[in-house]
Amino acid sequence: MDYPSQIERRFLSPNRKKDFKNNALGVVSGEASDRTLNVWVRLQIQVIDSVIQTVHFNVYGCPHTVAVVDWAAEWLEGQSAKALVALDMLKRRNELGVPVDRLGKLLLIEDAAAVCKMQLDQLNMQGKS
Amino acid sequence: MKVKEIYLDYAATTPVDPEVIEVMTQCLGPSGDSANPSSSHAAGRRAKARIDIARGQIAERICAPAENIWFTSGATESDNLALFGVMQANKQRGRHMITSTLEHKAVLDAAKILESQGVDVTFVRHNADGVINPHDLAASIRDDTVLVSIMHVNNETGVLQDIEALGECCRERGVLFHVDAAQSTGKVPLSVSDYPVDLVSLTAHKTYGPMGVGAIYIRQGVKISPIIHGGEQEGGYRPGTLATHQIAGFGKAFALADPDREAPLLKSRRDQLWEGLRKIECASLNGHATQRSPHVLNVTFHGIEGESLRAALSDIAVSAGSACNSNIADPSHVLRAMGLSDALAASSLRFSVGRYTSESDIDYVLGRVEQEVSRLKELANGAPDWTTS
Repeated sequence: MDYPSQIERRFLSPNRKKDFKNNALGVVSGEASDRTLNVWVRLQIQVIDSVIQTVHFNVYGCPHTVAVVDWAAEWLEGQSAKALVALDMLKRRNELGVPVDRLGKLLLIEDAAAVCKMQLDQLNMQGKS
Repeated sequence: MKVKEIYLDYAATTPVDPEVIEVMTQCLGPSGDSANPSSSHAAGRRAKARIDIARGQIAERICAPAENIWFTSGATESDNLALFGVMQANKQRGRHMITSTLEHKAVLDAAKILESQGVDVTFVRHNADGVINPHDLAASIRDDTVLVSIMHVNNETGVLQDIEALGECCRERGVLFHVDAAQSTGKVPLSVSDYPVDLVSLTAHKTYGPMGVGAIYIRQGVKISPIIHGGEQEGGYRPGTLATHQIAGFGKAFALADPDREAPLLKSRRDQLWEGLRKIECASLNGHATQRSPHVLNVTFHGIEGESLRAALSDIAVSAGSACNSNIADPSHVLRAMGLSDALAASSLRFSVGRYTSESDIDYVLGRVEQEVSRLKELANGAPDWTTS
């Protein structure tokens, strides 16, 4: 299968696959997976003063999924925490060059981000962020 | 930027040997032996002589009489001719045939159509290593069984069937035995004078010959109907103008394909590859460890997503399974039939070495596979284990 250059570049050299050190401040984590789609995504996000500072991730999936997680991590950094629920993969799919039959896999990235947002909201309610 | 590209997909197709190209070009162009070999003029007779030489070379490779070799467009057509032709011509003997779920789609799809036409098809069992036990075949044979079709070397796993023992089962019971030998010629000896085999499918392009030409061996006395109509060429079994240049190349390729000379080299490269791959913690071999062809390895990388691994190794030409299936998202039907889960089957790669594979090619491939497996493992750190059935 041929991949668009952006997908190939991000798949071969994703930037943000590290883990945070234990007890890092303001870090939340969200996972989503679908065995039938053969995809698992985990986002780890550090939010300080309501701004997403750093996003790390781990991913098991096809090159499109890996590349789009890498793109999403980059896109989220520097944005407000609200961006966690504004990842619109349906909208982004075309500009990233992802075939429509891969959309289901990309939606799991939205799901993982949404879990992060829920955790962040809980932290905020507890006054820890 | 990657500077190397290594070809380890010889089971899909092989490059045409330069000596084969030379013979083929002698049959092309105004001064070549390019006339219709069915024509009675001198130029036609020269082309026919080329065909006769090739027929003899192919026959010699499988120890068959030349008059029992008939040219086709490839092993897929030969498989179809064997299944449809035999079941059609032997209707009065019965309407039952036996094959296995490990076969190439050329046999499986033909068997499926025969089923829709009223033929009863039994799929003989095999073990987890992909080996068919002759006792299981014997138990599947019925009074109305006409044909058994089993491949010699599996194109996806390289597992070698005991054709001699399976053929004996058929011969003892008066059942015709067809062998798809597309993957074995030149790597594993096959002698129809020693083995109780009635029909053999052959192809040129897996043995350093050209694509688009194959043959079928039909033992003298086997009743078979043509599936293509329109002439008397090839004894009426396969009408159509013979492609002299392809057939001449096919013959030369088979003349060069001596398993006694080639197999030790292939085995050495394959073993070098496996010795390196087995050191990767998540790698496991599919198929029988020793009962296998010297040129194919099928390896599962547990916990590594298959498409990502293939994409990461884009500088290495390997396959997810049969080349005929590689554009299909579904995991290999052969690996699934051997009991692997969809995820495991999708995380498997077929490596196949050939005449032009060097020791340094294998060293390079081992380095790249280790590098990419390690990278993808780290990327997927924490992922659930989906590798169980």
